[in-house]
Amino acid sequence: MSPNPTVPSPIVQSPRVRWTVRIVGVTAAVAVAFTVWLGLWVTPPDQTQGDLVRLVYLHPGVAWVALYLAFGLAAAASILYLWPRTRSLFWDRLAAAAVEVGVVFNVCTLISGSIWGRPTWGVWWAWDARLTSTAVLLVLFLGYLALRRVPAEPEVRARRSAFVALFAAVDVPIVHFSVLWWKTLHQGATVLNPNLSPTIHGSMAWTLLLGFVALTLVFVWMLLVRYRIGFLEDWLGSSELDVALLERRAEGMA
Amino acid sequence: MAHATHRLRYAVVGLVLVGSFAFLLFKGLGTALNFYLPADQAVQQKASLGGKTFNLEGVVEPGSIHATPNGVDFVVTSGATKLPVVNSGSPPELFRPDIPVIAVGHFDGGTFVSNQILVKHSSNYIAQHPARVTAPNGSKQ
Repeated sequence: MSPNPTVPSPIVQSPRVRWTVRIVGVTAAVAVAFTVWLGLWVTPPDQTQGDLVRLVYLHPGVAWVALYLAFGLAAAASILYLWPRTRSLFWDRLAAAAVEVGVVFNVCTLISGSIWGRPTWGVWWAWDARLTSTAVLLVLFLGYLALRRVPAEPEVRARRSAFVALFAAVDVPIVHFSVLWWKTLHQGATVLNPNLSPTIHGSMAWTLLLGFVALTLVFVWMLLVRYRIGFLEDWLGSSELDVALLERRAEGMA
Repeated sequence: MAHATHRLRYAVVGLVLVGSFAFLLFKGLGTALNFYLPADQAVQQKASLGGKTFNLEGVVEPGSIHATPNGVDFVVTSGATKLPVVNSGSPPELFRPDIPVIAVGHFDGGTFVSNQILVKHSSNYIAQHPARVTAPNGSKQ
């Protein structure tokens, strides 16, 4: 009597995909370990900041993942959901997974920045445009996640969420350009500055780059795992509904 | 019943989110988006600023730093403007000559009286070993 809804999921079940996820995870862990080693032991201290400079291998990479990869992907996936020709719940699920990972990285951005700010600036927090707009970003995407918890038909929820994601993503360029548009305590961009000439060099620059790659891999791994969980949650939800329907039907016949 | 508690929960979550968004927006706009006023502009606007507390920015003049019983005195430069700052309390670890700092305080006659210094470090990262590395601008550091 037990219904057996099949999982229509080459993405979720195929051993090849599961192995890919594992390999991405292991590569990410190795890249992070290598960054830690270069960042803490190999690279020299900075002229002004001394050993405090070592946070540069972590903090900008974490922010890069949150702002551009996670929230950027969420915005792109939301557009693809809203576009009638590409509309599919795949994009909705992908956007949700990206935002959830992005929120984690956004929190880590604020925490690592605060830890860097205390010994360098002298304060844990300042209400400058960069810090404030980053905090606003977190609140906006927490709103997105809260909205997804409101019970609704999957299509209704997907449409609502896509609009909110696009609205929230407007803050991403504001965060990025805040250090140019306003006078901020936060320093300007080291790599993606207006002249596109990185003001960091040698082993420090390479470690910074490796940090970006390592955190990007961590993001990809977390995204894949979260997508899979989201998919299985949806499938479980619909199979539970099937069970409930069959039970009610059986009651009707008895 | 369960429905009513759910609704209440959504209302509370919504309120908290909207409230914190509004609070952040207010704080952000409250400091007028610009976190500081460069010392040259501050001196120009001295009459309108009066005794108001604001964030003043300037580069610490080399040789001007003197420790005082309750803090530190120094001069900040900003363009052609030089402005003496009297700070009570000890400045952060990275405070030194020739770096941009932000002093939180107000004008008192010809000096700026502050009670907090923030070090506004740059986005340039240069290795510490002298003569071994070249700075991004080409000079030996």
